[in-house]
Amino acid sequence: MVQYSAHLDRAFAAVSDPIRRGILGRLGHGDASISDLASSFDMTLTGMKKHVRILEEAGLVTTEKVGRVRTCRLGRERLAPEAAWMRSYVEMVEARFNRLERLLERTKGETS
Amino acid sequence: MSTATKSGRKATVTTPGDREIRIERIFDAPRDRVWRAHTDPTLLAQWWGRGNKLVIEKFELERGGHWRFVEHSEQGVHGFEGRFREVTPQERIVQTFEWDGMPGHTVLETLELQDLRDGRTKVVATSLFFTTEERDGMLQSGMEQGLSQSYEALDRLLATMK
Repeated sequence: MVQYSAHLDRAFAAVSDPIRRGILGRLGHGDASISDLASSFDMTLTGMKKHVRILEEAGLVTTEKVGRVRTCRLGRERLAPEAAWMRSYVEMVEARFNRLERLLERTKGETS
Repeated sequence: MSTATKSGRKATVTTPGDREIRIERIFDAPRDRVWRAHTDPTLLAQWWGRGNKLVIEKFELERGGHWRFVEHSEQGVHGFEGRFREVTPQERIVQTFEWDGMPGHTVLETLELQDLRDGRTKVVATSLFFTTEERDGMLQSGMEQGLSQSYEALDRLLATMK
């Protein structure tokens, strides 16, 4: 359960930033290198690497290094920012229902 | 209608429309207890926040009432809020839902509690997602007309105030 929550936190953190939503939108049109992305969003390489890492940890983006260039593409499910948000939302509701079930078990027999 | 039911889960998740998600789940508890778990802030705080600390800043359970929950997790603070559109005791709550992290993306949530008459309760949560794009589309169509009608009425009112 803790694991589940950590995964959700990562997904939420990934889609909560407008730049990261922009990166997902940009990658929806085609793969791009970190430096392409950095210049598209007018950012430093270091700053862009940080955003890409957060998206990668959430499973929304994969990267591959060939030579000196690291290419970014959408993760296997190719989720657009909206869909990524909808997925996080559903996971959140399901996780919440699991907790509700446990609360109802715990409070069985108690009167208000 | 497309159906995407994942096995191995206790909840049934279906997508009746492009922007609509329906989550169904049966709880082994009478409806009254499920209702209380959704409407008593002390109980809500124990399950809504996924195990993280949850601060219920506002919970005005009535039509038009405002709700705001703030979840404190290790990774950060997440604020959620909205307004109640319908509150029918024991049966139904309709509310808007917005997460601070996605401003302008409103979800219309309908929660229905069905008494299965065997001590269990079926909970159906339907979520309709509104996006900024859809809202913009609405502005271009009927709402613009509605707005100009309001302005005409305002003009008339101002005229009488001269």
